[in-house]
Amino acid sequence: MKIRTWGFFSGQAFSSMRRNSWMTIASIGTVAVTMIVLGVFLLLAANLTHWAGSIESQVEISIYLQDEITREQVDELAQKFTQLEQVAVVKYVSKEEALLKMRDWYGENADFLAGLELDNPLRNGFKLTTHRPDQVLDLAPTLRTYDGVAEVQYGQGMVEQLFAVTGVLRVVALALMIGLAAAATFIIANTIRITVFARRREINIMKYVGATDWFIRWPFVIEGMTLGLIGSLVAAGLIAWSYQASFAKLVISVPVIPLVNPWPFLLGIVGWLVLIGTTLGVVGSTVSLRRFLRV
Amino acid sequence: MLELYAISKIYGNGVVALRDVDLKVEKGEFVFIVGPSGAGKTTLTRLLLAEEKPTKGQIIVNKKVVNNLRRNEIPYLRRQIGTVFQDFRLMNNWTVEENVAFAMKVIEASRRSIRKRVPEVLDMVGLSSKAKHLPTQLSGGEQQRAALARAIVNQPYVLLADEPTGNLDPETAWGIMNILQDINAQGTTVLMVTHAKNIVDAMRKRVVALEAGRIVRDEYRGAYGNED
Repeated sequence: MKIRTWGFFSGQAFSSMRRNSWMTIASIGTVAVTMIVLGVFLLLAANLTHWAGSIESQVEISIYLQDEITREQVDELAQKFTQLEQVAVVKYVSKEEALLKMRDWYGENADFLAGLELDNPLRNGFKLTTHRPDQVLDLAPTLRTYDGVAEVQYGQGMVEQLFAVTGVLRVVALALMIGLAAAATFIIANTIRITVFARRREINIMKYVGATDWFIRWPFVIEGMTLGLIGSLVAAGLIAWSYQASFAKLVISVPVIPLVNPWPFLLGIVGWLVLIGTTLGVVGSTVSLRRFLRV
Repeated sequence: MLELYAISKIYGNGVVALRDVDLKVEKGEFVFIVGPSGAGKTTLTRLLLAEEKPTKGQIIVNKKVVNNLRRNEIPYLRRQIGTVFQDFRLMNNWTVEENVAFAMKVIEASRRSIRKRVPEVLDMVGLSSKAKHLPTQLSGGEQQRAALARAIVNQPYVLLADEPTGNLDPETAWGIMNILQDINAQGTTVLMVTHAKNIVDAMRKRVVALEAGRIVRDEYRGAYGNED
């Protein structure tokens, strides 16, 4: 297509939007509402995933050593752990440190721990963190076999349940997202179909004059793209603004829930919404046109 | 040349619209196609415009076989066949000028040639003074002249007119016939499907009569006959 033809196409698209201004507003509104629903959902899903991730990342393996092993054996074990592929951080915790921590934990009620410094019942050990939280499950049982290791703890049972829950959450989130996107495409396709239906006579005339399918299609595609773009920009703007506002409030009032920081997170959300909205506009108009091009 | 060889069209429901039709139209001819309703006239125009494919037979337009075109080739056939219809088929929200220019935009003609050619054809059909009018502001005859201007602006090989005077009063109809004759005089083949007995009888052109899907008469300098 030549450049002047593109000029003609966009002229057609914009004059059509002006002429059917009510339809245009309705379509933009539909896209905006759908994208807001999708956007809210994206925010919820991202925050849920973030929350699940922050819980998971707190999962660590505690290794308690036998009392009688030597300093060299401890160093050797530290070496071995560090060399393990899955392991990210290895931290040695002496029984003195463990006791101090315990005291911190109980604070003012720590009196009952008095005197334990002399005959510390706790054991020296390691804390291991893996690269991915789920690696804990496979790794932990094997650590028990190392020489000098007395006990391995990683919250057995509880960790498995946690992973099961977060796994389900992720699948549900993905399924809902796909469902919403499909519903949105359907709504937009339907809205554009009304515009196309109103203009089926014009499409017919164009075909008799010898216009190619793409010559007829482009103005509609540009129209759909513009409707999708404007609608999703409106939605993205509202979503970004309200998330930032509620983030500022929630961080103070409900600090226990770890919310995703608005920036640069919102850039991604805005980008996705605009991309999806625009694509839906294009797909919607192309799909709606197909039937009417068969003349 | 326009050639139809043993064309048959049988619809899915068993209706035979055309049966073994042979027809040859030389370049520059003026041909009336007449016949009662249901004789196959509409089917014939639909086949020529590749809206439908014949069940059997071959159609050749300007040396090219067109009865089995791929979907994306059809627009290029239609650019060789200018069409006018009983119901004008103009874009109602475009001016006369824009309607005519559209046919040239479709073939991606340059702005300059559009600016030059559109006034020429509007002048030829006598609509220069109404160039900026919308079709809704025109009479039926004027609308049909606008449609004619659009049909010939790209100098098609054939002009196919499907009952172009069907919606017009006799006087206006003659205005349209005069323009068709002018177009024909400039070398464009004209194929006109019509019920207008008085026009056919007065013009004494080639008449092809269809009945029940067959050509029952093909007569040079003919008349409408008793059909209908």
